[in-house]
Amino acid sequence: MKSRNDDLALQISLGPLKLKNPVLAASGTFGYGEEYARLISLRKLGAIVTKGLSLEPRKGNPPPRLAETPAGMLNAIGLENVGLKAFLSEKLPRLRKLGCPVFVNIFGNTIEDYAEMARRLGDVEGISGLEINISCPNLKAGGSLFAADPKSVFQVTAKIRQTTASFMMVKLSPNVADIAKIAQAAEEGGADAISLINTLVGLAIDVRTRTPILGNITGGLSGPAIKPVGLAMVWKVAQAVKVPIVGLGGIATAEDALEYLIAGATAVQVGCAHFFDPRAPLKIIEGISKYLKTHDLNGISSLIGSLKTK
Amino acid sequence: MKTDPKEIKGIIVDHRRITTEYYALKIQAPEIARTARPGQFIMVRLDDLYDPLLRRPFSFSRILPPRKKPGSGLAEGGFEICYQVVGRGTARMTRLREGERVDVLGPLGRGFWREEGRERLILIGGGIGIAPLLPWAEELKGKRGGAKGGAKKSRIEILLGGKNADRLLGVREIKKMGLEPQVATEDGSLGLPGTATDLLERDLLRQDHESTVIYACGPLGMLARVAQIAEQFDVPCQVLLESRMACGVGACLGCAVKIRAEGKEEEGHPSSPPKSLCGSGEDPETILREEMAARISAAPFFRYGRVCKEGPVFRAQEILWE
Repeated sequence: MKSRNDDLALQISLGPLKLKNPVLAASGTFGYGEEYARLISLRKLGAIVTKGLSLEPRKGNPPPRLAETPAGMLNAIGLENVGLKAFLSEKLPRLRKLGCPVFVNIFGNTIEDYAEMARRLGDVEGISGLEINISCPNLKAGGSLFAADPKSVFQVTAKIRQTTASFMMVKLSPNVADIAKIAQAAEEGGADAISLINTLVGLAIDVRTRTPILGNITGGLSGPAIKPVGLAMVWKVAQAVKVPIVGLGGIATAEDALEYLIAGATAVQVGCAHFFDPRAPLKIIEGISKYLKTHDLNGISSLIGSLKTK
Repeated sequence: MKTDPKEIKGIIVDHRRITTEYYALKIQAPEIARTARPGQFIMVRLDDLYDPLLRRPFSFSRILPPRKKPGSGLAEGGFEICYQVVGRGTARMTRLREGERVDVLGPLGRGFWREEGRERLILIGGGIGIAPLLPWAEELKGKRGGAKGGAKKSRIEILLGGKNADRLLGVREIKKMGLEPQVATEDGSLGLPGTATDLLERDLLRQDHESTVIYACGPLGMLARVAQIAEQFDVPCQVLLESRMACGVGACLGCAVKIRAEGKEEEGHPSSPPKSLCGSGEDPETILREEMAARISAAPFFRYGRVCKEGPVFRAQEILWE
């Protein structure tokens, strides 16, 4: 039997925010929530993070946009999205009815884009917080990724912090030299939490035609294949910052999620597992609950960062 | 009618090789069969391992709603899918055995629909793409309850094509419905030598086509040709598209297809920053603006639609054929 204590045991604090459990749906894998509302009870999720949003609508990349790889998949969707205006008028009213906290993932190509998005979304009813996707080219810095440069990450984060008091989680890219430095830059800039990892850059080739399988040539690798990479980076970042970490990358089962918590994450996001197992987030919540009971733990907090190393 | 998709473990009740190229898999799954519509699809997860990782989409080739009275076969209800071995997923599928359970998610997407006032119904299929037309033919013929009075006045014409006799299916099933299919194969091993679109053109030229509607499924090249013919003769046409998919429910945006979006500036906007931007010395924003302006004037307006959600059945003229 499930008791009230079991529910309490799953609660977590993400900086200033309280969530009923540590399992979030990752951006880009869950649409605007409604796509999965007919399959699973969204009320049971810790939160959902919506598809990456930009000021203007984006059409996305030419197909093919998907390539399956061993224990993973490459995607090159190209950040297709409805744009801020349509999001506020069409998507948000429906998101408010889903019954679970909503984080809005935003991206831009200039610091001003990010600030403008944050200004217009920060205090809107029905939005619990923002997730900042910094894996985008900074057009004013020669097109290199914000995510790859600690200075840019600090600037974006600080600028958003000036603009809004809203909860801000900065999502890091694994395609960088030193992830800890990037995480520290986000923390210094005023991030309330850090989520990692975004996808790894990958390529799949059709050898018969010697052409890339993806229309965009390269894409982002996700799925069980990247779990060890995500775990190592979460563990590394956990040594470097004080703000809570939301771990993601290849989580498909409760055991995967527990690994991330033990490595130092306070919460996790489920991503491409939704595609092959729509009930994965619910199974993970149940599995974590069961683990806590079996190991006689009264809360998630005793697990976070509990990795035993010599 | 909108119905919720279900994820269930269906029981394999029959698995046959129907030609050297094609297989038919019959699955008992009453929860899905109850609401399934011709043209809709399911996504199959082959096992709990991660390779292959993703589900595979298949359209229904037969829908067997649960029967009120218990009888032989699939009294509980289920469906059949047909497939061709094209990769690791379908290669694995051939090893599924009767009695095994398989994880299926569906029914998904938008199926075929009736066109008001159209009494001459042409169903044209190529290769494995014939399969999704079979339950639609059955419903239009009105043998099963779902057809809402059937199509008494309607005339149904079935045009089937394939590379050769091994890449063609459904002839026997169509005949069982009391219909006589016209058949063409590229090598002439069955029916007339030629393609299904040859049959279609001949058909439309020969007869008055004012009350005609076309339903098509097959390889992309064939569908583009069917769409062209339909436009030429001004006949409404529905096409069932295939695509790589990850989620099947409209969330991942992986199964993009170009949809005409006439003159709508906002949606017709080319989006991704041009690749030449990275590392160039000029002001990237200026280049971006200029290049975008150039692209907007050159490209026809379109947006990307989701095959899994807005389709897989589309009106042929919705699609930007290239």
